Amino acid sequence: MRKFRSNWSQGDRERYQERSDSYRERAGTSYLSRERWTHQEVVTSPLPKPVATSSLMASSVDFKTYVDQACRAAEEFVNIYYETMDKRRRALTRLYLDKATLIWNGNVVSGLDALNNFFDALPSSEFQVNMLDCQPVHEQATQSQTTVLVVTSGTVKFDGNKQHYFNQNFLLTAQSTPNNTVWKIASDCFRFQDWAST
Amino acid sequence: MWPNLHTLAGETVCLCACVRARVRACMLSCMRLCAFARFMHLCLPSALILDSQELSLVESEVKEEKALGQNVGLRSFPSLFCETLGPGQSNNKMCSTLRKCGTYRTEGRHDHGRTKGGSPFQDNFDKRNPHYEHGGHELLPSERQENDGSVEMGDVHKDRQLRHTPYNIERSRKLVKWHSEDQIYTTTWRNRKLPERKMMEDTRDGKTRAWFKVTIPYGGKYDKAWLMNSIQSHCSVPFTPLDFHYFQNRAHFFVQGAGTASALKDVNYTICDDQNRKICIFVNQSTAPYSVKNKLKPSQMQLLKLTMDKRYDVSKQALDLQSLRFDPDLTGHDIDIILNRRNCMAATLKVIESNFPELLSLNLCNNKLYQLDGLSDITEKAPKVKILNLSRNELKSVWELGKVKGLKLEELWLEGNPLCSTFSDESAYVSAIQNCFPKLLRLDGRELAPAMNVDTDSSELMKPCKESCNGSETLKHTVLQFLQQYYSIYDSGDRRGLLGAYHEEACFSMTIPFNPEDSAPKSLRQYFEDSRNIKTLKDPYLREELLKHTKHDIVDFLSTLPKTQHDLSSILVDMWYQTKWMLCFSVNGVFKEVEGQSQGSVLAFTRTFIVTPGSSSSLCIVNDELFVRDASPQETQSTFSIPVSTPSSSSELSLSQERQEMVQAFSAQSGMKLEWSQKCLQDNEWNYTRAGQIFTVLQTKGKIPAEAFKQIP
Repeated sequence: MRKFRSNWSQGDRERYQERSDSYRERAGTSYLSRERWTHQEVVTSPLPKPVATSSLMASSVDFKTYVDQACRAAEEFVNIYYETMDKRRRALTRLYLDKATLIWNGNVVSGLDALNNFFDALPSSEFQVNMLDCQPVHEQATQSQTTVLVVTSGTVKFDGNKQHYFNQNFLLTAQSTPNNTVWKIASDCFRFQDWAST
Repeated sequence: MWPNLHTLAGETVCLCACVRARVRACMLSCMRLCAFARFMHLCLPSALILDSQELSLVESEVKEEKALGQNVGLRSFPSLFCETLGPGQSNNKMCSTLRKCGTYRTEGRHDHGRTKGGSPFQDNFDKRNPHYEHGGHELLPSERQENDGSVEMGDVHKDRQLRHTPYNIERSRKLVKWHSEDQIYTTTWRNRKLPERKMMEDTRDGKTRAWFKVTIPYGGKYDKAWLMNSIQSHCSVPFTPLDFHYFQNRAHFFVQGAGTASALKDVNYTICDDQNRKICIFVNQSTAPYSVKNKLKPSQMQLLKLTMDKRYDVSKQALDLQSLRFDPDLTGHDIDIILNRRNCMAATLKVIESNFPELLSLNLCNNKLYQLDGLSDITEKAPKVKILNLSRNELKSVWELGKVKGLKLEELWLEGNPLCSTFSDESAYVSAIQNCFPKLLRLDGRELAPAMNVDTDSSELMKPCKESCNGSETLKHTVLQFLQQYYSIYDSGDRRGLLGAYHEEACFSMTIPFNPEDSAPKSLRQYFEDSRNIKTLKDPYLREELLKHTKHDIVDFLSTLPKTQHDLSSILVDMWYQTKWMLCFSVNGVFKEVEGQSQGSVLAFTRTFIVTPGSSSSLCIVNDELFVRDASPQETQSTFSIPVSTPSSSSELSLSQERQEMVQAFSAQSGMKLEWSQKCLQDNEWNYTRAGQIFTVLQTKGKIPAEAFKQIP
């Protein structure tokens, strides 16, 4: 056991510094409230700058990058979204833009306040995602705001209800900073596959 | 308190230098001067005794103390020192005692996680919730005087015992050192102290056991009943919680007895809440809870009972406690029933429990109630209350009402409370209250529409599924028209016509809900190869391959899919995103495969389109995602049930622009679906007025089937 800090190697010292930095970073949070600071956002590496080019070859390279990036963002996002939905429901609205809209089985929920109320009222859930597909949305539609269409499907069981198959589509938009990109939901459409019979 | 300190300080001429240094060190480490003051009070007498002087001085000081039993304690304390410490050792022992005491005091400070419950001083002095105890009426210093060091004296020993539990020792290394050093002292103290302690306990009036305050951080978010039941079930010792209240999202209650306290400490981190988080429970020493300390005297209770009897209406089983404080029977006597105070509320509830257990209606109007912690016991004491009047009090939020959520209220009065003005409108207010009391029938005198979610069965708490409300009618028409055009070409056998619908650089992908490892059902086998499920497909090359990029690629691919027939009358469109430049919608429906290997099988699909406004008021697809699955039996049955005689959408394309407009107009006017309107017009040779007349006639005769009409969203 390394009792004295003077016995630590440089590596240990650095690691310790890093660790304690991450604590200090979140100043003002005590041990008890630290759970609030768990990573809630979907963050990926910075986006590649769109290259103005006319050659087909170059644009296809860009397209591939877009596809890759979209896939990565979608995968990471979906993992975080459903886990947050199941286990940390109160933090779910952090993944939505302020003016985001949710269409839940035909019910329109618009704006963060309404979303908060809606997710509070929704019983606790257990999601199982079986299918995930994504496409980068063409910039003509989004006016150069990088957007990804994510389509998921699977099963969900809400507390007190039977299990349903569901389909869900998201439009994720990227908010870029120099160091990373934060993805948030601009719009969300959720529906049970057997909605007509419920 | 302060005068005592000064006199003592003035007379401690004999205080040795090292003690002084230690004292200073302690002073610095103890943040609170008042705590230090009490600490000095503790140690100084012994310092005096140590130098074998001024024993009488101490005794005289002690006599000035208010609480009983102190004398005995103090007397034994100094005598102990006299006996165990020889003169030569005196300084060192004193220093180590001080150091120990210093450590003891500073424990609370360095223990990061427990600043809330670190030291009893802190707890009693600064974090005290004024609302819990005083309702904002009295000044705190009056309380302060009661909590002097003398109570702590006896408790110090007990605290030592508690600190020896393994749970505490693990917490910091400092404790370990202290513990080992302490060994000698502990044994000595125990041997000597015990008989005197017994004496101490017996002479103490009523206070046979110490009180402990239990704190549950974030206790506010749990249901009180659930929380208490969980703790009771996990705790090895049964206990009665007293004075349960909330303060800033923490829950507190009091228990008596060290055994109970340690049992409760063991419950810490054993209870899991529904989000799989462990609940922390902190137990600290404290003075007796407010309601016990200020318990109403029997004469006062009698008076209260008489007053309440007068205010009770037997016929309606209603108890009117309006402005109880100013009741003429109570004023002028030695009693002040401020219902906001815990002791008064507890006494009132006790009277209700014993005299009016079948109470139905309770009126607490105009009693300056700031919080309902005290009233929360009513769920056990008078569970049958159905009518509650809390108007003209000082309740600031609906969260207060949550404390009496256990009551099955039918009528509630809340007007005149600050919380009423916090809501933006009437309906928000009503729904917030209804959330708390689902079975509420009348609020502030107004009848309420019974809430949708009357049952505790949460299946009703979910919003019912609806067909999407698609925004504006024109948009809906545009989209429907687009879909009809699209699917008519799609179903026609030659999908090359779709080239016009796609953008140059559109994207398309398709998925089916099966993994490569599973065997796909026969009906989906043709879609299987091109299914792009990036959850299971990790190869980046394949991922890109399966995403069709340009419009030619897309249409070529679509042409390879089997021929289909879509049922457009049963489709459901969710329009879920709309900006100036794009529209995003999802189509849910079924289609039949009309040729190929699995001819006749019905499949369900969900297709998501992202379109931009194209040329000549048409829509241009930029993204297209298709999800195909087996249709459920219900879906198969309900769709394709409309007879084939209904004009299929493919013929609509052949209509001229003018006729299309006629159909649209007719459909809008009559309320019938587009196909039926078209049929009607066709039957009447496109004579609009005549078609209208025929329609009206048929409708009055009831000859038009219901399915002809558009469903009202």
